[in-house]
Amino acid sequence: MRSTLIPQRWLTAVHACSVSCLLATTAPLTQAYTSEDGTLEVNGFIENGTYQRETVGISKSRSTAQLEISKAFGDKGIFSNVSFNGTLRATFDAVYDLNDDEFGDNAGDAVRLENALIGIETPFGSSPVSTGFLIPGTPIPTGFGFDTSANPNEGLKLLGGELRGANGGVGLAVPVRPCDKDSRGCIDDYLDFDSDELRHPEFNDRLDFIREAYVTADVNFDSGRQLSLSVGKQQVIWGRTDLFRVLDVINPVDYSRHNIYDELEDIRIPMWIAHAEYRLGSTEMFDDLNFSLVWNFDKFRPNNLGQGGSPYAILGAGDFFRGMANCWENGCSVANFAAHGGLATDFPAHTIGIRKAEMPSWSLSNTQLGLKVEGEYKGVGFSLNALTYRSHLPSLRGGVEARNPFIADGALDPLGSGEIGGEEKVRDYLIAFDIHFPRVNLIGGSLDFYVDPLKSVFRIETAYTQGEEFANTLKPKLYSESDVLRYVIGWDRPTFIPFLNKKRAFLLSAQVFGQHLLDHDLVKVNGIEAGIPDWEVNHTATFLFKGWYKNDRISPQVIIAHDMRADATTIAPSVEWLIDDNWQLVVGANLKYGGGDKPFDDCRGCNPFPGYTDNLTFQDAGALGLRDLAGVEPLGRFRMGPLGMASEEDEFQITLRYRY
Amino acid sequence: MKLLNKKIASVAMLATVMAGSSSSALATANATMEDVDASFYPYRQSVPTFPGLSAGAVINQSNVDLFADVLDPAVFNFVKDGWTEIKVGETTSFDLHPNYVAATRVNLNEVSLGDQPGEIHNFIAGRPFPTEPDINDPRAGEKVAWNFKYGYNWGDNAAISPFYWKYRDMNSGKVERNIKFDFHFLNFMHRVNQEPTPEVQPNPSKLFRAIYVKANEPFDVKNTQLLIHRKQDDLQRDSSWLYLGFQRRVRKLASGQVTDAFLGSDIMIEDFEGYNGRISDMNWAFKGSKNLLLPFYNHNEMELADDLKERDGYQFVDFEGKGGCFPKITWQLRKVYELEATPVDKNHPISKRTHFVDAQTYTIPRTISYDRKGDMWKTFTIGQAHPDHHLEKNKGSGVSIDDSFSMVDIQASHCTTGQFKGQLDPEMNPRTKFSVQNLRASGR
Repeated sequence: MRSTLIPQRWLTAVHACSVSCLLATTAPLTQAYTSEDGTLEVNGFIENGTYQRETVGISKSRSTAQLEISKAFGDKGIFSNVSFNGTLRATFDAVYDLNDDEFGDNAGDAVRLENALIGIETPFGSSPVSTGFLIPGTPIPTGFGFDTSANPNEGLKLLGGELRGANGGVGLAVPVRPCDKDSRGCIDDYLDFDSDELRHPEFNDRLDFIREAYVTADVNFDSGRQLSLSVGKQQVIWGRTDLFRVLDVINPVDYSRHNIYDELEDIRIPMWIAHAEYRLGSTEMFDDLNFSLVWNFDKFRPNNLGQGGSPYAILGAGDFFRGMANCWENGCSVANFAAHGGLATDFPAHTIGIRKAEMPSWSLSNTQLGLKVEGEYKGVGFSLNALTYRSHLPSLRGGVEARNPFIADGALDPLGSGEIGGEEKVRDYLIAFDIHFPRVNLIGGSLDFYVDPLKSVFRIETAYTQGEEFANTLKPKLYSESDVLRYVIGWDRPTFIPFLNKKRAFLLSAQVFGQHLLDHDLVKVNGIEAGIPDWEVNHTATFLFKGWYKNDRISPQVIIAHDMRADATTIAPSVEWLIDDNWQLVVGANLKYGGGDKPFDDCRGCNPFPGYTDNLTFQDAGALGLRDLAGVEPLGRFRMGPLGMASEEDEFQITLRYRY
Repeated sequence: MKLLNKKIASVAMLATVMAGSSSSALATANATMEDVDASFYPYRQSVPTFPGLSAGAVINQSNVDLFADVLDPAVFNFVKDGWTEIKVGETTSFDLHPNYVAATRVNLNEVSLGDQPGEIHNFIAGRPFPTEPDINDPRAGEKVAWNFKYGYNWGDNAAISPFYWKYRDMNSGKVERNIKFDFHFLNFMHRVNQEPTPEVQPNPSKLFRAIYVKANEPFDVKNTQLLIHRKQDDLQRDSSWLYLGFQRRVRKLASGQVTDAFLGSDIMIEDFEGYNGRISDMNWAFKGSKNLLLPFYNHNEMELADDLKERDGYQFVDFEGKGGCFPKITWQLRKVYELEATPVDKNHPISKRTHFVDAQTYTIPRTISYDRKGDMWKTFTIGQAHPDHHLEKNKGSGVSIDDSFSMVDIQASHCTTGQFKGQLDPEMNPRTKFSVQNLRASGR
């Protein structure tokens, strides 16, 4: 394999380089274009970003070509300033070829799962509790086991295996190859990308290569007021904060590009939106006052969290979903499950896992509507916002019909319930889910103001939502709703630090993001925590320190982010060099510290099959007394957060861009 | 507003009848109509002269010592070091708009300073303190500064579109960055020419002036926009906002950012137009008047650049000399007020500026900045073009047009040059352009 792989890698490297390297030789010929009458402008950039991850090698080698077009049509009838704006983007990420044994066709391997009780690891599909397993102490067969020819032990990795072993907790295997190479765990219409869609994600049925295409026009009134309209595929941005999305939730976000670390401008997923803004301008009371209405009439799209097996999967969610979807579809081995968490267990299909994703279809009721009042009053910028939308984050709702693995196919329940093996029915507290995207209603607001004695600008943004759903091991369907209060307080201060630079101030910018789950649910029982794994109250702080030298052509910066409850820190130093008006080189790193495992009730003691999974003292499904097993997987990820879950993703990054 | 218009009309009529003679009815013990005439028309009777200096002369390394008295110290050094030459042009009158002069007459002697710097009383329009500054007046510097602030610098409104900035390495001559801007100015108050006068309404925050800047090129700064709202009350801070194209967000600016290099240039926002801050941010000292060579010229008569083409045929001022850092223009021997500005804030990156204020127009065509140690750091040249020798639309505007600039960082051997297409065109500066929301609407 190695002998054929190397030439292929070189070919792919040449291919990946071809755009930017060819450009390097032809750059002087590539210029922005402005038409003779000045109404048509075309510009853009070509870029290659290559990132090296300490643990896996190349994690990104993405070449990008972006074209931005604007055409002014002037006045048309009652409309003035009619214009068209378009942005086209094409990317090719060669990582799936250059590092195909980590992220591409040859990714993954055979895996072994832990049996804490007996101290050995057994291969996927060959667990102690598997085909032929009898109910202990009886000759009664069960339905455990799955077809390993349909779900072989290959192309897999262990869920969270980058971070740790199972360590007595739940362990799942995740198929990691692109969905055209291995369809296991690929959920229809949700994180089911094939090789080409991973390599160049813009070329899909949503025409994402059209990043933006919208028409704007103004209607001017005699009073000086103005109605501004824009319709088309676009980004509509609310809020005043960086990195965190408190009010900036109109467009979903593609975290698969680089987790949370890319500029939101580059990772917002443009949607078909109609946007009307009534600008009053100055009034007797306000220096500036505007009302705006946003109607996102596009078919729903969720955030792209990164497919299982791809380089950037925020929270490892994509891995978890894919592993669970494979469990449902094909059955799967789970480490440390049976025998009170002592033995790996081969669950049959349609027992545990993720059955499907309920993607909201297009309908008027599934569109999203927002209102905003924004203005300036005595030096304070303010906005009041309201939005009703579909959550861009998935909710895993239990309560799907699933089978009981303790009853052999076609056999009668030996406990006398009358159930026949293979029958699928709703079972409380069973870790079998459908993915939903619930409707969320948001109200919020923002402020910014300058405090002269501190020479600082403060930014405040807050949002209160209803309708968000969270995993909750105390509820029969393993989720519950919670109202959520989020806020960000930001501080910006340009500060001279003479011993570093006598002539140019540094930008110091800090933010604290807070999240309060107002209907949080958490109990401590038998030494473990159960309920909603997300922290009831958590804060994440960021700090940016940025300087400029050589007339801003060289700009070093450090971004530090720290998740308080996860105790996880990311430090991202980088240096940007504007070589000239066209060329830009950015060299950086992304380093993670701290974190550590955050075990949580993993529902092995949830007793979804009373009579089989209970004990003499507690027989009820979900009985708290049975809860005494906790692990990092799968719910500890919500406590570790995006920073903690990426703690093994230290990277060195180099990006070269040619702008025209 | 009606009162002012009536006053301006009556004064204009009076001025016509009396042909500039003094009027006992309007004269006060402090200032006379002769003072106003002398302030606005200093070259009516004669122009300054200096031995050996005449139109067409060239001051260079070989003869600069002869003309040290008519060159400010930085320009002298530049010529002495062979970095540039000074081509001398004929001294001409840059008459400001008659309405501005008339407003000065109407409000003569009604304006007074408050107890502390930054306070001014009863100012409506025109030049607040048209009398010759007195070296013995401890607040003379402040008065000169007020005359600049309320000068007819860009009239009631103006646009510079386009406005090319080049960042240059003085040693190699390499142009490191090219930025294409649009600048727009709008006076909300003290307007004398274009309706509405004297104030744009509504004006809830009592803004005096607004400046809107948009960067169009290159791609990395495209759509970066700056908005500055300057309050009528000089003791209040400016409100400033920056729109960053790559973030698509409006960010309020801290005051520190107006004393920082703007987009990496050698210019800070506070440098715009010579001085772009509050009167109360500085301690002002009048250092006397003298005749100096200043960059005043007729744009259409210069040898202009041919590398930046406009569809209407307009050509920009060219640059030459060391590193291409010096405008290729002619200089006039003109009456100058030397004004020293020392920052109140001890953390300010400069220790002082010396402004050389043109006595007729109260523009600031030459400034020398000193670093915190007191060493000469930067020198700022703003070339002033006569409006009657510029774009057709600018003729008769009575505005001394900022037409070229050069900010030289002497210590870093670096400069930023600017090439203007100044346009006195109200249509280009609607009030809506100066709102925070316009930043969001104009960005993408």
